[in-house]
Amino acid sequence: MGRGYIVEALVEQYLVNLQTVHASCISGILIGQCSSQRDYVVLAAQTPQKDCGAVRGCSLGDLDADWVTEHGRQVSRMLPGGLSVLGVFLITSPDLSKEAQNTLRKLVYAMEKLISMGRLWNLTEEDVSERVGLHICSKTKKAVCRTFDVRDPKSSARPADWKYQSGVSDSWPVLKCSVDLDLYFPLSETSSENLENSVKIGLQKWAKQMESSVCLINGKHSDSDAELLTGLRKNAKGHHPNFRVQIMLPMQRSSAAAEACGGSLTLAGVLQCRAYLHSHKLKARQAAEAIKRDIMNTLSSRTEMFFEDLLINEGDGGKGIQPLPQRVFAPLPGTSLSLCDYMFPDEGAAEVGERFKEMLDFDIPEEQIDMTQEVITGKFLWHHIFLYYYYDTLLYFSRYLMLGHDVVEVLHLDFGRWPVVSGTLPSLNLPRTTNELACTHPFLSRAVIALHFTLLVTTRF
Amino acid sequence: MVASDRSAIILRARGSLELRCLLDGTDGSHVQKAVSRAFERVRARVTSQALVFRVRDSPMFIWPNKGCQVTEGIAETTACKDLQQRLRSGEPDGGKRSSKKKDKRNGDTSVINIDLLMELTEPGREAGPTLTRREVRHHLAQMALPVDCVVTAGMDDGIGDAFSRLVGALCSQLTDMESAVLRHISGTSLLVPQPFHFHLPEPTGLVTLVYPTGVPDAQLESFRKEMHVRFALPEDRPYLRRANAYHFPGEPFKDGYLRNPHLALSHPALEDAKPFLVQGVYSYHHYMQDRMDDSGWGCAYRSLQTICSWFQQQGYTERVVPSHKEIQQALVDVGDKPSSFVGSRQWIGSIEVQAVLDQLLGITSRILFVSQGSELVNQGRELASHFQREGTPIMIGGGVLAHTILGVLWSETTGDIRFLILDPHYTGGEDLQLVTDKGWCGWKGMDFWDQRAYYNLCLPQRPRAI
Repeated sequence: MGRGYIVEALVEQYLVNLQTVHASCISGILIGQCSSQRDYVVLAAQTPQKDCGAVRGCSLGDLDADWVTEHGRQVSRMLPGGLSVLGVFLITSPDLSKEAQNTLRKLVYAMEKLISMGRLWNLTEEDVSERVGLHICSKTKKAVCRTFDVRDPKSSARPADWKYQSGVSDSWPVLKCSVDLDLYFPLSETSSENLENSVKIGLQKWAKQMESSVCLINGKHSDSDAELLTGLRKNAKGHHPNFRVQIMLPMQRSSAAAEACGGSLTLAGVLQCRAYLHSHKLKARQAAEAIKRDIMNTLSSRTEMFFEDLLINEGDGGKGIQPLPQRVFAPLPGTSLSLCDYMFPDEGAAEVGERFKEMLDFDIPEEQIDMTQEVITGKFLWHHIFLYYYYDTLLYFSRYLMLGHDVVEVLHLDFGRWPVVSGTLPSLNLPRTTNELACTHPFLSRAVIALHFTLLVTTRF
Repeated sequence: MVASDRSAIILRARGSLELRCLLDGTDGSHVQKAVSRAFERVRARVTSQALVFRVRDSPMFIWPNKGCQVTEGIAETTACKDLQQRLRSGEPDGGKRSSKKKDKRNGDTSVINIDLLMELTEPGREAGPTLTRREVRHHLAQMALPVDCVVTAGMDDGIGDAFSRLVGALCSQLTDMESAVLRHISGTSLLVPQPFHFHLPEPTGLVTLVYPTGVPDAQLESFRKEMHVRFALPEDRPYLRRANAYHFPGEPFKDGYLRNPHLALSHPALEDAKPFLVQGVYSYHHYMQDRMDDSGWGCAYRSLQTICSWFQQQGYTERVVPSHKEIQQALVDVGDKPSSFVGSRQWIGSIEVQAVLDQLLGITSRILFVSQGSELVNQGRELASHFQREGTPIMIGGGVLAHTILGVLWSETTGDIRFLILDPHYTGGEDLQLVTDKGWCGWKGMDFWDQRAYYNLCLPQRPRAI
């Protein structure tokens, strides 16, 4: 018995539209959620053009497998928990149908390999390991659907059912939570050269902790096989109530250590996490797994992107505090789901919209992009113009203020030559008015004489 | 420091809090400041809203700094005894029986075990995620603080109050740990502070002290002297050595031996008689334990092991209970036996027991000799006063058997006597029920002894030290 694929009607529409395009060979990816019995497909997105204006290739040989799989990898970053890249589709002319099957197989395995490389978690025995390869003949419009077991590269493809249905994701429950992060990685003398590696190793340790963390959903421990919805009833509107997710870490026993370090890395802040579930009948354990995986994914995606960006812009890793890309959400048209993207500090809604168009092939108006879920604390201080002495050390000071961090240690380290600052400034989560600053810091009030109003904020604020 | 009374509940919270000290300099004041700052941070976490108590073996999670609970039916004002009831009713049937026995032995005190967790999904701040890089060279000293604190609550006390006291106990333990760490700093290396609970004589009750790991008891004597004075403890016996730490009811012993099986027995009825029993804790050593088949020849060795276990658990020695080979080697070392003795299956008697106690543990013992078993009836006063003064188990050897005497029931007026015997000839498993039912630990009369044989008794003397 093959697997069944329940596909959103809008996906059918999209695929039909693609077939009317002249080009004879179109590839793309399929996105949705796995379950033990069947998979749900909610979105299809064609592989973006490599360069503008080029005509699409006519043969499968022109297909750049690396490009296709890279598209899949980047899209998988845009998927909240529960959703994943389920497979690949190919639309070709009839004469290429046979060859297409081989290509599909190669693409499916390559994509799965690439995507799972960057993950901090591994598929378990319980996870579905079948991925789909869909072939549509551009002439007959016939769709042939086969699945490949990614755990067994030598296995043969199995036929699967492809069925369209509307409103597939309509009543999918969603789990949301904010996760506080405070990770510290010491860097040895040598490892301060390779930041990215140190971060990877540190994140792997954190991921192990995360996997063994205690997760409560609506107050009940989720290590059971009990259904998610036990005891809950629909409210008047027929919607299920929101789920409250709480994650806690049992204290870890680590061995005592003392080491000399060349430096350190700290990852701190609040992450906004989300996971969609295909059914209320899911076991609590599976729901907890989905949200935990999203937590791990969002942090690893962000740090990956941060280092990629560094590489492209030839940054030196920067010193002091660097913001990680901020997570924003956008609704998927026609469904109740939202997908996400990561926005760098120098970007805005326009750039996010462009990326959605390029990666996922749908238009999203700028005002529908939800940038309020996560916060860069600088926004709090947008309206508060503060004075600072135009000293290079103060540049650090003000940037730290903006990002809302506890300034205690910074002062201790960076202001060694500023003799007056030997006390501690209280945590600056609340906006400070200039008056407050002046009162707690007599030195600063003197510095006010040489004032200079500058906003270190960027235009997007 | 909490008073404990018979109908009280002990709430015990355990966890492992990460301490991270960033030392920018290695001189004393820098290190001190860094350590203090690190402890500040830990205290802040413990008093924050992210602290969660998880009641072991139950689905209950409590946020003590927020006042909300998870399980329905529990509120801040719920009485401790109701909490205990809910826990008990969740126990499987197998647990009920043994918990009855525990209650019998330990009065009505029972322990609610709590684990510490930190919630990640209740961030106390709003800040976007950032990556901070510092290139300052520094020393990192990192450790997991093994917090373990205890408060005693009355049955009718509200749990909200008990839990906030527990948080207070956590903070003060952290302060104690800070002073222990600062007291024992050397350069940039810090010693891990470890809490120990001691059950001191009434009215003091349960007390928690923090000792640095790696510093042996001998070096902490001056600290213990201070504490002895503070808690008004006698100066001649140890109360605050690590081995004296209170063993909470319900916690299994790591080594698996039975402790004080005689406590499960009731005294026989004897007119006008008083019990004089061993004081403190010992482990029951007997034939076939530790995969050593010494059946038929090892009884005196096992009795000696029981006595050694007493000295270890009362804190007089840090030496672990010796094996048969180690006992034999000790006798060779003092010149009492030829070297071929090691590995043999030869018996030993009370004289050898005395010699080994002296050689391995530095304990002196008195030897008592009775020419006939029937004369043991006249030793009542002697034995009673031994148990009162020394409180150590007695090894008795005679005829072809050796036993351990754990106490006597003796009447000064009638001269009637019963002996509490721990029999090392038992070959079964560590089953308290079996041991007590079949009399392997039990009260015996004069008919237990061979009336004609002569007996030697080894009475170990307790050193006067703290």
